[in-house]
Amino acid sequence: MTPVIELRGVNRTFIKDRKPIPVLQDINLGIEENEIICLVGESGCGKTTTGKIISGLLQPSSGEMLFRGRPISSYDRKEQAVIRRQLQLVHQDPFASLNPAHTIGDILGFPLKRHRMVDGISGVRRRIWELLTMVDLTPPGDIVNKYPHQLSGGQRQRVSIARSLTVNPKLIVADEAVSMVDVSIRISLLKMLHELRERLGLTIVFITHDLALAKYFAWEGRIAVMYLGRIVEIGRTQDVIASPAHPYTRALLAAVPEADPDLTRHKQVLRLRSDDIPSLSDIPPGCAFHPRCPFHVPGLCDGVVPALGDGPGFSQQVACLPLQQGIPLVVNQTSTQNAGQHV
Amino acid sequence: MIGLDTVATPVGLLIGIVCGLIPLAAGIHYKQYRAGIAGFIACALTGFGCGLIGGLPMIVLTYAVVLSYAYVNRQDPFTSRAALTEVDFSETRVESIQRVLANIGTGIRRSFRALTRNKAGFLGFLGIAFFILVTTFGPLFIPYEGEAQMDRRQPGSRVLVAPPSWEHPLGLDWKGRDVLSHMVHGGQRLIITSIQAGLIATALAVVLGSAAGLLGGPIDTVISAVANFILTIPGFPLLIVLAAVVDFDSDFMLAVLFGVLNWPTLMRAVRAQVLSLRERDYVQAAFVLDLGLWHIISREVFPNMVSYITVNLIFTIRIAMYSIVGLTFLGMVPLRDPDWAVMIFTGRQQGVIFLPQAAGMLLSPIIAIALFQLSLVLFARSLEEIFNPRLRSGV
Repeated sequence: MTPVIELRGVNRTFIKDRKPIPVLQDINLGIEENEIICLVGESGCGKTTTGKIISGLLQPSSGEMLFRGRPISSYDRKEQAVIRRQLQLVHQDPFASLNPAHTIGDILGFPLKRHRMVDGISGVRRRIWELLTMVDLTPPGDIVNKYPHQLSGGQRQRVSIARSLTVNPKLIVADEAVSMVDVSIRISLLKMLHELRERLGLTIVFITHDLALAKYFAWEGRIAVMYLGRIVEIGRTQDVIASPAHPYTRALLAAVPEADPDLTRHKQVLRLRSDDIPSLSDIPPGCAFHPRCPFHVPGLCDGVVPALGDGPGFSQQVACLPLQQGIPLVVNQTSTQNAGQHV
Repeated sequence: MIGLDTVATPVGLLIGIVCGLIPLAAGIHYKQYRAGIAGFIACALTGFGCGLIGGLPMIVLTYAVVLSYAYVNRQDPFTSRAALTEVDFSETRVESIQRVLANIGTGIRRSFRALTRNKAGFLGFLGIAFFILVTTFGPLFIPYEGEAQMDRRQPGSRVLVAPPSWEHPLGLDWKGRDVLSHMVHGGQRLIITSIQAGLIATALAVVLGSAAGLLGGPIDTVISAVANFILTIPGFPLLIVLAAVVDFDSDFMLAVLFGVLNWPTLMRAVRAQVLSLRERDYVQAAFVLDLGLWHIISREVFPNMVSYITVNLIFTIRIAMYSIVGLTFLGMVPLRDPDWAVMIFTGRQQGVIFLPQAAGMLLSPIIAIALFQLSLVLFARSLEEIFNPRLRSGV
C-alpha cells in the first residue's frame, strides 16, 4: 500500500548568524493511511520541524514530500491546495492557537465558509454544532458564543481539534497537543483522538517528548525516535518499548518514572557519558550520539554517520553501527567518566 | 466627514424624522417601545445634523438595536441548550438577515454598556457629545454676529471689550460682538479639521505599517527609512515652515499636511504589532487552513490591533487640534471668522490680553479647547474596553 505521506531524504536548515544550522538531516519516513505514528525526542531534535513540514508550514530545504506516491510539486496548484488542506496541524499551546478576538462559532465558521464545506448559512451552523459534539463539547449552544478566554485549556484544545476537522483532513499532526493541558484531562483528550481516528479514518502524527505518553497513545502504531535532526530508531511501539535497540532509546526508557516502587528500586540505571546535548551548529562527526553513548566503540562510531537499517535480533530499524554489525553493546570502561552499569 | 459640514437645516430635520420612522415602526411592531423611541430620536438628530449621510447608516444601526431586543424572545437554535438531534437550523433569507442585524445590535448595546460602565470614559463621551451638539445645533438658536457693534460701548470706556453680563453670558469681544455666538459658530471647523487630520495620519500609519510588517523585504526597508527620516525632523517647526509656503485653499489641505508629517510614530508601532502577531499560532493555523491572505490581515491580525489603533487615533486627533490652534495662534494659516483659534489670535494681536475685562473673550476658546481635549483623553479609556473582548466582562 502506498503511504499517505512519505518524506524522502528531507533536509531542513535554518540560517542563524549567517551560519546554516541543520535542523533536519536525511529524514525518510512513510506514513500509512489511518496509522498512529509518534515522533519522540528531546527538545531541539527536530520533531516540531518535521510536523511543520508535513503540515505545509515549512518547505524542506532539500528532499521531497510525496502524497500518495507522487511528489507534491507534481500536482497542479488546485490539487496542491486541496492536499495542503487535508494535512492539518494542532498546536501545542491552546492559549495561543485560538484568536482572542473571535467567538468559537466564528473560529469554526471561517474555514467552513471559505472552502464551502457545507451549503448555506444554516448548513454552516449545523456543521459547527456537529463538530463541537464530535469533540465532546456539549451542549454546543453554550460554547458557540463564547470567546476563547472564557474556556479552560482542555476545552480550547478541543476547539482547536474541531477547527482542524472543519476541512475534512486525512492527516492531523498533533504537536505536543496534550502537554500543556492538565494531567487529569489528557487521557480523555487522547481517547477522543483515538475515537476520531477510527470514525473519520484519520492518520495521526503525534509529536511528544514524553515516551510514556507515546507508549500509551501509539500502542497499536509506530514510534520514531529522533535525535539531533535524525531518526535513530523506528518500529512498532510494542517492539520499541519491549526491546529498545538504540542506546538513546534505552536511555529514554530508563528515564521514564514508574509508579511501582519495587520496579523503580530494581530498575537499571543507564548512565550517559555526558548530560549535555551537543549544539546543532556543532554536530559531532559520525553518530551524533557517540559523545554521550556509554556503549560507543572508538573508531567505529565517530567515523561514519549510521543509516537506519536492520539490527540482528531486533524487528525495528535502528541507526547504530555496532548493533547493525552484531557487535554486543558493552559499557566502554576506558572512556566512561562516571561508571555505569550493564544494561 | 463631508456630511458633517452641513449645519442643521430644516431639510435635514425632515430627512431625520423620515429615517427615524423605520426604527419607530420596528419598535412598535416588536413591542419594544423604548428602543423604538430612542432609535427615532437618534435618527432624527443625525439626520438633522448630517442629512442623508448621517441618517441612512443610523437607520441600520437603530433598527439593529431594536431587533436585538426583540430577538431575545425568539431563541436562536444556535445558542440553545438542545441536543444536536433536536434542533432545526433552517431559516428563510429574511430571518437570517434579521439574525445578523440582531447580532450587530447586541454588539452595539454591549459596546454602549462598556462605555457607560467606565465612569471617566463616559464623562469623556458626554463631553465630546456636548461640543458636537452645541457646534452643530447651537447656530439654530444663536445668530452669528459678524459686524462690529459700535453702539455697545460702555459709557466712559475706550474699548468695546466687555466682561460677561446677563445679555452676553460670555462677554463681548474687541469689536463688541457676542463671544457666545462666536463660540457656538466657531468650533465646528476646528473639530472637523482635527478629526480629518487624525484620520489621515492614522490611516497612513495603519496601511504603511501593515504593508511593512507583512510584506517585509525592500518595501519594509523603504517605508521604515522614510519614517525614520520624517521622525528626525522636528514636526511643529516644519509644519510652520510648510504652512507658510503652502497656500491653503481649504482646511482639508491642512489636515493632509498634518497627516503626512505625523504617521511615522504610529506606523512603527503598527509594524511591530504586525510582526509579532503574524508569528502567533492562530495566524499559522489560518495559513494551514488556507484561509487566504486577506482573511489573515482583516480577521486575524487587524482585530487584535483595533483597540490600540483607535486609542492612538484619539491621541492623534488631540495633537492635530493643538497643532492647528498653534499655527493659527502664530498667524501662519489664513484667518477666518468665526473660529476658536482665531479668537485667541486676535485677542493677542489686539492687545486685549492685558485687559481684565477681556477675560471672557480669551478664556472661552481656551477653556473650550482644553475641555474638548480632556474629553478625548477620558474617552480613549472607554474605547479600550469596547474593543478588547477580554475587558468586556459578562455575557
